[in-house]
Parts: sequence; structure tokens; C-alpha cells
Amino acid sequence: MSISKLLVANRGEIAARVLRTARAIGLKTAVLRHPAEVDTPAHAIADEVLTINGPTPVAAYLDIEQITQVATRIGADAVHPGYGFLAENAAFVKALDAAGIIFVGPTEDVIDLMGDKIRARNYVEERGFPVAPSAIEDDNPADFVERARAVGYPLLIKPSAGGGGKGMHIVREDSQLETGIETARREGERYFGDGRLFVERYIEDPRHIEVQVMGDGQGNVVHFWERECSIQRRFQKILEETPSPALTPEQRNEICESAAGIARAVNYRGAGTVEFIYAADGGFYFLEMNTRLQVEHPVTEMVTGFDLVAEQLRIAAGEELDLQQSDIGQTGHSIELRICAEDPDADFRPAIGDILLMDEPTGPGVRVDSGILEGGSVTADFDPMLSKLIVHGRNRNEAIARARRAAQDYVILGVTTNLGYLDAILAHPKFQSGDVSTGFLAKEAEALKHRPDAATRDILMAATALSDARLVQAVENVPEIYRMMGAWRN
Amino acid sequence: MRSILEINGEETSIWLASTGQTHVLHLGEREIPCSFDPATGKGSYTLELDGARIPLRVAVGEESTFVHLNGRAYEIGRTDPSQTLGETGGGSVQDQMVAPMPGVVVSVDVVAGDTVAEGQGLLVIESMKLETTIAAPRDGVVAEVPFATGDSFGGKEVLLSLVPLEETG
Repeated sequence: MSISKLLVANRGEIAARVLRTARAIGLKTAVLRHPAEVDTPAHAIADEVLTINGPTPVAAYLDIEQITQVATRIGADAVHPGYGFLAENAAFVKALDAAGIIFVGPTEDVIDLMGDKIRARNYVEERGFPVAPSAIEDDNPADFVERARAVGYPLLIKPSAGGGGKGMHIVREDSQLETGIETARREGERYFGDGRLFVERYIEDPRHIEVQVMGDGQGNVVHFWERECSIQRRFQKILEETPSPALTPEQRNEICESAAGIARAVNYRGAGTVEFIYAADGGFYFLEMNTRLQVEHPVTEMVTGFDLVAEQLRIAAGEELDLQQSDIGQTGHSIELRICAEDPDADFRPAIGDILLMDEPTGPGVRVDSGILEGGSVTADFDPMLSKLIVHGRNRNEAIARARRAAQDYVILGVTTNLGYLDAILAHPKFQSGDVSTGFLAKEAEALKHRPDAATRDILMAATALSDARLVQAVENVPEIYRMMGAWRN
Repeated sequence: MRSILEINGEETSIWLASTGQTHVLHLGEREIPCSFDPATGKGSYTLELDGARIPLRVAVGEESTFVHLNGRAYEIGRTDPSQTLGETGGGSVQDQMVAPMPGVVVSVDVVAGDTVAEGQGLLVIESMKLETTIAAPRDGVVAEVPFATGDSFGGKEVLLSLVPLEETG
């Protein structure tokens, strides 16, 4: 097996990022485009741009049959799915397999196993890896309440079919347990048409720590250390870093070895991420395994020096992993900021608009993985993430300083972004001391709000008035003796 | 010339004047001399405001101006009071006169059923301490006057509507 032509079945910043590596290792490249999309960096990088159609742009990127046909037609021998869309879709792997095309990722079976959160949890627990104490109603509905009680408080009740926080309830004492179960069941039925529940121990102020793993499907598995992703809004990460400021070297080894062990247990092939909940007492519990490249993989690349996409492509081509664990070190500190078109002062409402002016930061230790171009526009068709700003420094303080400078130098005008908000997070004393949890953004919401002061408002108003050609023209046209008369009747 | 600017949901009425040499920004009671000159770099300008020289980046959009100042981007909404009333984009003849911002009705000079001529004063409103006469955008018949003298109204509320053109024949 070898790969000579790669189709990237994705868009935006990740398509551009994968294409750059593919070119660097000498592959011919192709990428997709829906007619509703504006020009993006990926379109300029790929050798070929193939149009895909669908009722919506997202539907086109999820169209297994159409994308498989495109790959076959252009003679691609491999497809890289990026993240999202079809990256964790076993049916897509099967379709490509039937067409004789390599899927850059794990096997269908592993995708299926890890895609089923309860099966994955049981699989991991049975092999002796840590999972949060829990009880699943389906195991034996008759004694569910008893088993829930035995898990211990505080408890989190979740609908089995759930996601996105819907129907989840925290129960702190026994007297609330039965009411909590009834409420969660009603909500599960309403939101998901499925009232089955499971409960797990609720971890107070947890951190989200995950480990990058890589396997060749031939028995070799290594890890590329951890990433801390506790800075989340609406259950979505917006700032990631490595190393985690929470871990001692012993804990780091323990959590990373657990992740590699889980990957080894499934004879993992490709790049994957094992996510853990990390409790304030140092305990950590398996959350899930993502069987793809993650959005935040660049921070790992910055501290390890590896190009994870190049490794993925080598493994996909059937090569053995020629790495020992001792070959992979962590040098310095890296932080990633996800630049999203959204308004943090309006509950992170997605923003749309035209990119009127854009300037990306550069300088020592600065990398920008962008999916937008000046003159393009941001529509509601896709995810609001526009680009990622990744920095590297010798230590965490240097990384924070570089991230702040680069975020402040990153100019995107024409659409509201969260850049200023990300800078405010970096400037927050608690963030700077590494004292964060997944509840950080909600707890510090007030401190992270920005209100321009009076002097700033004056400057903004003057700049707006003086850059308004129609207004300035009108002022110039006023007969001279009236010009100084100022505001009319008041 | 007047403009209404909105920053973080807060609206301010400004007045820009010129001495011939420089501009003067009237903000409430204050009169601030200012000038604005291109600087090196795409979208870069130097704003001179009350003697201070401030570097910034500016992009002017259709309804908003975007300013990058001290490492942060701001969006400033613009309303040109002489343009908004009784006008949609594209200059089509309009049936509804919509308030650009909240205010109070000072006087109502027509009732439903009145025939009016283009440019005729229909009602007077006061917003942000400034009185504005709403004039008929075209010849027509008044369909509805939802507000009486002294009533207050919110931004984007319909202040007066004319019978649609096809119905007036």
C-alpha cells in the first residue's frame, strides 16, 4: 500500500492544515467545495478542488456516497476526513473500503465501539482502567435506584440517549434522588424519545485532560502526552494547552500510560485522543475516546516537534510506527486559542459578516491555522470557528505572554470574534496561576466581560465619524458660516 | 452633520463639524478637535483627538464601522438620522415608517384616511433630545397612526403606515 493522491473530505482550517502536510510529503492533493462557500485557504493550496452539492453545504460534506464517488473519480487512493463531518462515521469507512480507498483513521470496529459511550465505558472498565463510578439502568431496571444510591453523592443523572447537557441533573442528597430520576426520565423522553437513564458520580470542579495517542494497528502504540482543555463554553473547548499545569510528573505518566493502554487494548490504528475527567483530588476517570485528529492537536505538535498528520498518513499507508515512547518529549509550553465568529457578551451568539480587513500575527513561537481569507464572508452555514492561534514558549508564562501579544495583533474586522475575550482569559489571574476547571468561564463571566471606558468610546466615535466618507463629505458641503454652529436645537 | 453611533448596545448622538482646517466632534457638551490620517499598513490610520495621536485600524462596513484599537476589535453601529426614516435599502417606495431608535411622539399632524403628498409633514418625534419631522416618502393615503401625542415608542416600531400603493390604485 502506498498513497500518492489524497482527498481531504473537509473544509476550513483543518483542510488547509492537512493539505500543507500532504504537499510537504509529496502527495497530490484534492479538496471539496460546496457552491455556497467563499474562497478559503484550502482552495488555494490543493491541486484540485471538487464541487460537491447538497441541499445545504453541511449535508454535502456528510454525503458518503457523493464523496466516495468523487474520490473514486479523481483516482484518490486515500481520504483524510479531518475532524467533524465524516471523521467518526463507520459507514464512511465501509464505503471507502468497498471502493478500495484508504480511510486515514482507525478501523470501522473501533469507531463503532468508541462511538457508543456506554459500550466504550464498559470496555475500558473491564480492562482495569479508571472510570467514574456509575450505574446503568438497562443493566437491571428493577434495582436501578439502589445501584444509583450505591454510586454515592453527588450524582449526575443523564439520559442514555442524551448529549449536550440536556436532561442532566445533579443530585446532592438521597432525598432528591427519586425526584431527580423522574425529572430526567421525563426530559429524556421529551428530548430524545428515550427515557432510559444512567447515573455517574458527579465530579466537582473537574478539569478536562486528554491524551494524544497514535497506533499503527500492528501492535505498536505511543502517546504524545496530554492536553488540558478545561476552558470551555457550552461544553465546547475554546482554549487548550500542554503541558497541563495541574499534573505532577508522576500523575502525567500515570494518565498518559492509561491512555496508551486503552489504545493498546483495541490495537488502535492512527491518531486518537483519550479524554479524562480529572478531579480536584488527583483522581482521573475515562470520559471517551475520540477516534480522529482533534481540533487542538497543534499544541501537541508544538511541544513534541512531531507533525501528527504526517504520522497519520504514514500509518494509513501501512507503515509501522517507528517510534519508541522515549523518542517523544515535551519541550516548553503551548497554548491554542480558537478564534470563533461569536459575541461573548451576548451569550456566545454566532456572528456573521464579511471579512473586511484581516492581518494575522507572526513572530517567534506563533502559528496560525486559518480557514478564512480577507474579502471572504462568514455565514451561518458552518461552525463558527474561523481559525486557531497557536503559540509556543519555553514555559507557561512565556507562552501566555506570546499568546496575548499575538491575540492583540490578530486583526479581524467585519465580523465579531471572541479574540478580545480570549485575551481576557489569558489575562485573568486565576488562569495565569493555572487554577481552572471546566466551570471557569461560567464562574468568571463577570470578570471576563468587557466594557469600553469613556475615553475608548470617544476614540471609537471619532474614528467612526471621521472614516464615514458620506458624513465627512456632508460636513465639507455645509456653507462655511454654518459649519461651526454645532448641534442644532437641543 | 449628525450621526447616531451604537457601542455595546448604548447609543450616542454625535455631531461632526469642520473649521476648514480641522474637524470638531461634538459629544454632548464637549467639543473635541480631531483629525484622521492614513498611516503605514492596510487599514491603518492615526487619529488625532484632543491633541493625542492614536494609532488604529479601521474597516467601514455597510451599517457598522469596525475599529481595532489597543489590541481589541470593536463594532460601532451607525445610523444616519436623515436616511433611516421611511427608507428601506434600495430606495423602494415605502409604506411603513419605522423608528430608528426609541423616542416620544411630539405631535401628530394627520389621521387615518388623510390624503398626503410626498414631503408633507406627518408627525414629529423626539429621540435623544432631538426633534425630527417624519415626512411622507410618497403621495398616498394614511392607513394607520398607532401613536398619539405624548406616546413613547421603541426602536424599530412602526410610527405610521400608508395604504399600500396597489390598493390606492
